[in-house]
Amino acid sequence: MDILNYLQGMAVQHGPSGHEAEVSGWLKARFEPLCDSVTVDPLYNVIALKKATAPTKDGSPAPRVMLAAHQDEIALMVADILPDGSLRMGQVGGVDPRILPASTVTVHATGGRDGTVKLLGVVGSTPPHLLNAADREHNYKREDLFVDLGMPVEKVRAQVRVGDLITLNGPATPLLNDRCAAKTMDDRACVACLLEAAERLQKMSHICDIYFVATSQEEVGSKGAAVAAHAIDPDLAVALDVTHATIPQSRPDTTVPLDAPAATYGPFVQHKLLERLKKAARDHGIKLNTEHAERFTYTDLDNIQIAREGVPCVLIDLPLKYMHTTVELLDMNVIRECGRLLAHFLGDLDEGWNEALWS
Amino acid sequence: MELKQLCELQGISGREELVRAAIYDECVRILGRENVTIDRVGNVIAHKQGRDADAPHVMVSAHMDEVGLMVISATDEGLLHVRPIGGIDPRVLVSKRVKVGYAVPEKDGKPAQEPLNGVIGAMAIHQQTAEDRKRVLPIDQLYVDIGAKDKDEALEKAPAGTPITFDTAFTPFGDGRILARALDDRIGCYNMLRLLTCDVRGDTDFVFTCQEEVGCRGAAGAAFRLMPDVGIALEGTTANDMGDTPAVHHVCNVGQGTTVSFMDNASIANPELFKDMLALAEREGIPHQVKMSVSGGNEGGTMQRTGAGVRTCVLSVPCRYIHSPSTVCAASDIEAQFRLAKAFLEK
Repeated sequence: MDILNYLQGMAVQHGPSGHEAEVSGWLKARFEPLCDSVTVDPLYNVIALKKATAPTKDGSPAPRVMLAAHQDEIALMVADILPDGSLRMGQVGGVDPRILPASTVTVHATGGRDGTVKLLGVVGSTPPHLLNAADREHNYKREDLFVDLGMPVEKVRAQVRVGDLITLNGPATPLLNDRCAAKTMDDRACVACLLEAAERLQKMSHICDIYFVATSQEEVGSKGAAVAAHAIDPDLAVALDVTHATIPQSRPDTTVPLDAPAATYGPFVQHKLLERLKKAARDHGIKLNTEHAERFTYTDLDNIQIAREGVPCVLIDLPLKYMHTTVELLDMNVIRECGRLLAHFLGDLDEGWNEALWS
Repeated sequence: MELKQLCELQGISGREELVRAAIYDECVRILGRENVTIDRVGNVIAHKQGRDADAPHVMVSAHMDEVGLMVISATDEGLLHVRPIGGIDPRVLVSKRVKVGYAVPEKDGKPAQEPLNGVIGAMAIHQQTAEDRKRVLPIDQLYVDIGAKDKDEALEKAPAGTPITFDTAFTPFGDGRILARALDDRIGCYNMLRLLTCDVRGDTDFVFTCQEEVGCRGAAGAAFRLMPDVGIALEGTTANDMGDTPAVHHVCNVGQGTTVSFMDNASIANPELFKDMLALAEREGIPHQVKMSVSGGNEGGTMQRTGAGVRTCVLSVPCRYIHSPSTVCAASDIEAQFRLAKAFLEK
């Protein structure tokens, strides 16, 4: 799969939590050539099923495996329209206000006659010439910042409504060494891992029915994953999400290197399934680091694990730098390696996998 | 030459070579080689003879340089340490894209050069302590990430001294507004290029200056060389007129015409010239506004103190978010600055 091409496409799709219609439509089209059926559920989860290509030896039904990576993004919303036509912002998910000054945004204006219209906005900042020493010591707060649409208030009021969504702009920017920065690498880069795995599985045999799910509403509590897991009723699941790569200010115990996927260990992760994942990595020459989660993983795994009567889960982490900014940076080769790991994990899954889990 | 082309050229202070080459060629095309000079600090001076030999000799200036960053070293992990060139609030740098090095077109058999992409990241919000959230990241804790694997690779690709500019596409938006980097002061350069063809009354030197953003270093030499009777600076200036900011802090308002400054931090406009300029704008029906507060400084001050003294006045285009990756101005204000400068030079 051409990863850069995918990233350039995904970074211009908009899909704030709860409003994933645009990005889910785009993703559905990406999964369709690789799967037997693709549906979009009422919460905009994209569920792509690739049926087993080999029978189980003992004739038992094909195990159902759910793979989950989220498609939604953190965003802002119009909280107020001021008398001069500028907008105050509220938030939808955890936007760091430090990234906002001098950023460009897309305002999804719903008040006009032509359906939703996308307007370019600029988040203003005070010119340095006018800042005093005290101003310079404090970060901007979201509520102090404005979005400038470059239009007089009458034109703004004719198009924009309080509650309209505002998404951040951050196109995919290729860097040296196969690295790339973009908005919403969290977590659409992990959806790329699913697509990469699906592509590889075209030429592999697998005894399991595979449900690739691009989930919705992860950033507001993994609501999409919960209902998708209910619908699919999986026998096991793999969640994929991004994790923090090392940067100069970070604490070494909470980050992993940028150049390889990681797998999480901890109580929410089924430890025997994790061993199976590690074995797949070893057997196929894939470097796999580990990281810990002593309780919540803050990923879709947390809800999938307790869906219906419970689901054994593992979690694959894709390291990136500068999470929840518009320059989330990763190594595109790690996306390929994650896809390869997933494909082999699924291809190697054999009968009796579940008996081994609790022995 | 279109404003878009001028804004797309990269040129931080001291490294204006691409802007200078383009402007020099354009001046030569319009006025002929004999009337265009590049002086010893790198200003482009375009001379135009006036129709009235007794009229005052005018110097008009606009600066070619823009604010940006410069590479000074790299971390062991391959992140570039940078320093600002010109006044930049480090708070506008977080989560922004930059171009490291210049886009140089193919010339004289030398192959074209492409700049590197870079991004300025910061620690994820998840990992920040309450203290981190309040703390402003100073420039020495902001890094440009070009994807390099280590220090050697970083400095091989972007050696110390490499210029860095913001990566912002020139984008018309909203109701006649323009979003771009370097509007301060490619706007002035753009208008000066258009003024080259006007019917000037007195001898006029149009000076495209360098190094304005680091203390008007270019204009000083040019003004000394020319010793004009009158100096007019064409600038982009700070507009702080957003949202519920009280009017007293606005400085000027975008979309309400060219500003005429009675005073800034560098100079007090010559009162006669200031009065004449306002009267001229009234008479010609050119949208204009008086800059409402004393802020910023520019080449008006440099020209004024040259030799035995020069009468000066500054005409500016209001720019929001100036010196940030996303500067915004109104196309109508650019036109107003052009019309007022033209009316002044022709009268």
